Amino acid sequence: MSEGSGGALIALGLVFAPLSLLSFGGGNAVIADIAQQSIAVYHWTSEREFADLFALSRAAPGPGSMLATLIGWKVAGFSGALVATTAYYLPSALLVFGAARLWGRWRGSVWHSAIERGLAPIAAGLFLSGGIVVLRASPSGWPVWAAAIVTTAALLRWPQLHPVPLLLAGAALFGLLALSQ
Amino acid sequence: MAPLRSAPAIALPRIFLAFVRVGCTSFGGGTAGWLHRDMVLKRRWLDDATFLSDFALGQAIPGSNGIKLTVQIGQRLHGAAGAVVALVGLLAGPFAIVLAIGAAYAGFGENRILHQMLDGVAAAVIGLTFATGLHSMAHSRPGLAGLTLAAATVLCVGILRWPMLPVVAVLAPLGIGLALVEPRRR
Repeated sequence: MSEGSGGALIALGLVFAPLSLLSFGGGNAVIADIAQQSIAVYHWTSEREFADLFALSRAAPGPGSMLATLIGWKVAGFSGALVATTAYYLPSALLVFGAARLWGRWRGSVWHSAIERGLAPIAAGLFLSGGIVVLRASPSGWPVWAAAIVTTAALLRWPQLHPVPLLLAGAALFGLLALSQ
Repeated sequence: MAPLRSAPAIALPRIFLAFVRVGCTSFGGGTAGWLHRDMVLKRRWLDDATFLSDFALGQAIPGSNGIKLTVQIGQRLHGAAGAVVALVGLLAGPFAIVLAIGAAYAGFGENRILHQMLDGVAAAVIGLTFATGLHSMAHSRPGLAGLTLAAATVLCVGILRWPMLPVVAVLAPLGIGLALVEPRRR
């Protein structure tokens, strides 16, 4: 990894901080923008490298994508990773912190309770939608749907079940599937 | 802000360790589902209705859902310090792990079987997301109107793939209005 020059670090901050504030509906909303900035605008990665970094960010644990971290690392080593991660997550965290403070002040009012109860089913619908959208985008077709539905049923039947064995089973099953193709 | 619970705040080291654990085990994205599993089902630090309303309110704010929920839950558990500790805890593990994977992968390159395996992981993670949505909806006792709203959300965003913001902008006032006129059931 190349050592981070000041200019590269500033560029990383300038790219990821605004994206943090544009990612309505979660991190997936801005992946297209991250690709555009990294490949076409700043030439941080080739298209091939970007696809690899994206897949890697999915293999790691953690929120949404650690894609920003990986791109920062590719551009400017450890300090790049630190700057990109902070720029990508901090603005949104500060915003939600301020909003939650305001929200807490209204606790107990009729409106507060109505808003919380009224939004709950929509939130549940968004959870389901998020899964559906990702499944539809997956290149692996119906086996992905089948595996997702089986996992859903298992977790609803046994809520205390730890998901990591399920993830490993998914990886093993699809690995075998790929070998047999 | 003072913690929102009447019960004593959860100690900061416990919050930190709990979020480190979620951070290191929440594979495949979908951190919100992992948080639900750990904070609501396992530790019972908050209930389903609170979790869902935090998630829904977070939709008005940009950013990763996992990050927003982490800040909100940390704040509920131990005020501002709880939010900071929770966020650092959540990110510390994945930050180190993703860099390690990146370094290991640097020579690896393209591999079809690896990509398929990642798809398998993704499928299981989506199962977790589905289970979270269904479980927390059942436990917040939505009623017929709530079920209709949830189904409308799935239809518009999940199936028709309309942009989320305008859909929520239309459905949210409907849901809030219904909750205002409906007698409280909880």
